[in-house]
Amino acid sequence: MAVLIELEDLTVRRGRKEVLTGWDLKVNNGEVVVLIGENGCGKSTVIEAAAGLLNLEKGSSTIQNQIIRDHQGRRGRASFGLCLQDDCVMGDELVGERLTDVAQVEFDVKSLLAEWNLDHRINDKIAFLSGGQRRKIAVLSGILPAMISEEPVAILLDEPDSGLDDLSVDKLVENLLNLAAGGHGILIASHNEKISAVANRIITFPFFEEKQSPQVGNFTKIETTTASKKNVGSRLNIRTMSGLANNGIAGLLVLGSLLAFINPKQLDSEMLFAFILAPALAAGLNGDPVFKLLQENRAHAWWYARMAAPPNAFFHVFLGCGALTILSSAIAGYWDLKVILSGAFLGAFTAIIVAALSHATLRLARPNAVMLRLLTPILILPWAILVSRLS
Amino acid sequence: MKRLGEALTLAGMAGAGLTLWLGLTWAPSVAIEAFESPDAQRIFYWHVPSAWAAMLSFLFLFIGSTMWFFKRQQWAWRLHVASSEAGLATGLMCVLSGTIWGAAEWGIPWDWTDVRLNTFAMLTLLSLFLVLGRRSQPDGIETRDTFSTFGMYGFLLVPITYFATRIWQIRHPGPVVGTSEGSLNSDMGLVLLAGAISFTILIVGHIISGMRLADLELRLEDLASKYEEVI
Repeated sequence: MAVLIELEDLTVRRGRKEVLTGWDLKVNNGEVVVLIGENGCGKSTVIEAAAGLLNLEKGSSTIQNQIIRDHQGRRGRASFGLCLQDDCVMGDELVGERLTDVAQVEFDVKSLLAEWNLDHRINDKIAFLSGGQRRKIAVLSGILPAMISEEPVAILLDEPDSGLDDLSVDKLVENLLNLAAGGHGILIASHNEKISAVANRIITFPFFEEKQSPQVGNFTKIETTTASKKNVGSRLNIRTMSGLANNGIAGLLVLGSLLAFINPKQLDSEMLFAFILAPALAAGLNGDPVFKLLQENRAHAWWYARMAAPPNAFFHVFLGCGALTILSSAIAGYWDLKVILSGAFLGAFTAIIVAALSHATLRLARPNAVMLRLLTPILILPWAILVSRLS
Repeated sequence: MKRLGEALTLAGMAGAGLTLWLGLTWAPSVAIEAFESPDAQRIFYWHVPSAWAAMLSFLFLFIGSTMWFFKRQQWAWRLHVASSEAGLATGLMCVLSGTIWGAAEWGIPWDWTDVRLNTFAMLTLLSLFLVLGRRSQPDGIETRDTFSTFGMYGFLLVPITYFATRIWQIRHPGPVVGTSEGSLNSDMGLVLLAGAISFTILIVGHIISGMRLADLELRLEDLASKYEEVI
C-alpha cells in the first residue's frame, strides 16, 4: 500500500494558539480518513497544513512522495485535489471553464455537471450561482483531479458537505466510495454522518482513531482528450476589463491631469521624458489587475496550493503601459522605440512589485486593513532614474 | 531597572536638547562661500544625529524581525515592535529636518532622483507601515511573521541608503565624518559627537521602554483571554 498523504510531527500555530502539536497522520491509497471534532479543534488546520497553505513550526507535509511544505520553509507542489471551507472560486470564472482549468485537460464537462444537476449552468459565471451550486463547483474542483486519473491521487476536503442539499451529499458520498475504489487517498474534515459512514478510519480530535470497513465502490475514470493550458489570469482580465478599469484609467487620468497644466511640446528633455513615462508609472502602481478577483472567496489560497505563481495579467499590464506610452509620446510629438519599451517595462515592473507586496499580506487576518500604499512611493525612484538616464 | 528605559529616554532628550542649543548658538558658522544658505546648515546638528538614530533603530528592527522569524523569541517580537516605532520617530525627524534644509540650501525640499533621499524616506514609510499595519491586525503568528518579513527585507534599504551618496552623488552631499573629504572643524565635530551620543541614548531608552510597553500589552491581552475562558 502506498502512502499518499503523510503528515509528520506537525506543529502549527494560528493566531496566538498552538493548534496542532506533534501531529502524525498517514493516508494510504484507497483509504478515506475522516476528521471529526468540535469547531476550532484544528480540523481545517490539518487540511490547510497538508495543502501547504500554513507555515509549520515543526514537521512536514508530504503528498504523493513530494514534500509540500516543511518547517524549514521548503515548498513543493503535487497535483492533488483540494476543497477548502471557503469555495475558493472567482466569480468571473465560467462553470465549465473552471472545471477544465482544474483538470488541465479537455473532457466531457457537460456530462459531469449533469450528474450534479448543473449542466444548464455550464456557460454561466460562478458569481451568478446560488451558494449551494457554488459549493458543488468547489467540491468538484476538489475531487476532479482524482476522477480523471488512473494513478492514485490525494484529495483534501474541508467540510465539503457544508451548504449542500441531501441529494448532493449522497452524490458526494457515492463519488468518495468510487474514488477510494480507484485507489485514491482521501482526507476529509466533516461533521456529516453520511460521510463518516464511508470512512476506513475516523479520527476524533484531539486524537482517537477508530477503524471501520465501509462498502466498496466502483471507479470509472473520466476519459480525457487533449491537454488544456490556458492563461487564466489573462482570460479573466479580458472578460472583466479590470486592467482597463483600474490600471488604464489611472494612466489616462494622470495623462489628462498633466495636460491640463502642461504643454508637452514646450518641455525640456528631462521634463519631456517624465511626462511621457508618467502614465505608465501610474498604471503600474495599480498592481496586478487580477489580484482583486483572486481575493474573492479566498481563491488565491486554492491557486497557491496548486502553483507557485497564481493567475496574473502582467503581460496585459506590459502591453497597456506600452500603449499609454505611445499615446503620451504622440501627444508630446516625440517618437522613440526605446522610450516606448521603457514605459512598457516600467509599468510591468511596478505592477509586479505592487502585486508581490499585496500577496505578501494575504496571510494576515485582515489583509485589506494594511496600508500597502505607504510602501509604493519607492517605485517613483525607478521612474525618476529612468527619466534621468533617458534625458 | 524597571525604569531604565524611561531614565535613558529622559537623559537622551536632555542631550538632544543640549545639542540643538549648542548647534544653534555655539557651533561656528560654515564658510559662507561653500553654502547657498549658511545659517540653515545648523540644522545639520539635528539632521545627522537623527539619521544615525534612525539607522540604529532599523538595525534593531532587523535583529528583532530575524530573531522572531527564525528563532521565535518573544523578546525579539517586542524588539521589532519597539524599534519600528523608534524608527518612525527618528526617521520623521531626519526627513523633516532634511526637507527644511533642502528647501533653504537647494531651493527645493525634495529631489525624486536622489537615491539617498528616497531610500531613507522609504525606510521611514516602512516603519509607518509596520506601526499602522500591526495596529490593524489581531496579534498572532500570521501578523508577526508577515511584519517580520517586511522588517527583514526592508533592511536591504539600509546599506543602499548608506552607500547611496558614495555611488550616486546626485544631490545629497557625501559623508563628512571619517573621510578625507570631511569639512568639519573640531568644535563642529564636538557638537555632532554630543548629538550622536545623545540620540543613541535616546533611541536605546526609547526601545527599552517600548519593549516593556509591548510586554505589558501582551500580558494584558493574555489576561483578557484567560478571563474570557473563565467566564
